[in-house]
Amino acid sequence: MADTKEMKSVLFGPVFANNPIALQVLGVCSALAVTSSLKNALIMSIALTLVTAFSSLFISMIRNQIPSSVRIIVQMTIIASLVIVVDQVLQAFSYATAKELSVFVGLIITNCIVMGRAEAYAMKSPPIMSFLDGIGNGLGYSVVLLTVGFIRELFGKGTLFGADIIPLVQDGGWYQPMGLLILPPSAFFIIGLFIWVLRTYKKDQVEAKG
Amino acid sequence: MSSNNESIGKTLTVVVALCLVCAIIVSFASVQLRPLQQANKTQDIQKNILAAAGIDAVENISDTFNAKIEARVVDMSTGEFVETDPNSFDFEKSKFDQKISVALKEQGIKDIAGIQRMTKESPVYISKKADGSTDAIILPIQGYGLWGVMYGFLALESDGETVKDINFYKHNETPGLGGEIQNPQWTASWSGKELPINIVKSGAKNEHQIDGLSGATLTSNGVDHAVDFWTGENGFGPFLARVREGALK
Repeated sequence: MADTKEMKSVLFGPVFANNPIALQVLGVCSALAVTSSLKNALIMSIALTLVTAFSSLFISMIRNQIPSSVRIIVQMTIIASLVIVVDQVLQAFSYATAKELSVFVGLIITNCIVMGRAEAYAMKSPPIMSFLDGIGNGLGYSVVLLTVGFIRELFGKGTLFGADIIPLVQDGGWYQPMGLLILPPSAFFIIGLFIWVLRTYKKDQVEAKG
Repeated sequence: MSSNNESIGKTLTVVVALCLVCAIIVSFASVQLRPLQQANKTQDIQKNILAAAGIDAVENISDTFNAKIEARVVDMSTGEFVETDPNSFDFEKSKFDQKISVALKEQGIKDIAGIQRMTKESPVYISKKADGSTDAIILPIQGYGLWGVMYGFLALESDGETVKDINFYKHNETPGLGGEIQNPQWTASWSGKELPINIVKSGAKNEHQIDGLSGATLTSNGVDHAVDFWTGENGFGPFLARVREGALK
């Protein structure tokens, strides 16, 4: 059984050191789409973390039974079922958010992070570690999503979680909101900057030139 | 890992068992949660109808809706009320039901709103004042904007002429540009205007003109056409004509 130190590195490694979006560059598409407000980013983060964790757990539990010829299909089936359940729960308990996230919850199925962790980690590791790995990668995704969501909502709309923070010009305040930040491409710039900052701190993430 | 994992028998067993388990989980979640989801959906529509009627921030949406709003179904060609259940309509899907809808092209109707099909009957919502008289008439409208169909409600005063409010609850317009059709400040500029509405580039001069949204000309045109269509002779025109004659009181 794995010791606590290894558990810690599996759980917290992906947050900064091995961030799925910033270093592995997985799952960028949804990061562009759902980060225009912090609330959507938060719900999406929770949904993705849960799906990654539980799909990794279940896949790892049956990993010794999965024939390698159909392993991708088996992983896909498990992930898809979990995503449908999450989507149904959202529609039942948080209808307004489900409406705004619309198709992107369904697209967690194709989110490369979930598949990537299932294939790269859960197929080879015991259930508990796989579960932690899923949570860890979910957290890494969440950190980026929430950062991007924070910047986009604050400077694009002058609000956080829908509450007014900066008074806007059109409501008689002083702040002229940046229209670009509400549009999806702005997330590219913010993620780019995020990776830059991260690499300035963690030099080992910079690829060797040659 | 044993090598017999790769045998055809084992592969089939694993796949079938997995599908069975997953199917049970998914159907269980779906069946268990359906009543809640349905209630949410109805409540969402009711909330938007109430918002269009100018009734905001209520605690129990369904109770307020039932107390203040009367839902009726109107025959689009005659403008008469018919006895169809208003809850049987789905604003997005009903127009594709061949039995209750028509294709505008086949009817020779000019499809200015870009909706292609429409239902032969449509619900309308009548909000009542405390004394039982009509406060507002709320018409469901839809029309093609820049990226997709915009769904909304147009609220008219009891004279069937004056606009009270307009509320779009579902659309795919660009956030910050066309998406501003939901901006309360813009929808407030509709209040008190009179049909027919004309959305102009800037400097609305009279009671028929409304300033368009800057940077969203095509969305503004879409809204303009949608309102024209649904208040015109092929939309709720016949019904509104009856309202103006005092059919509602």
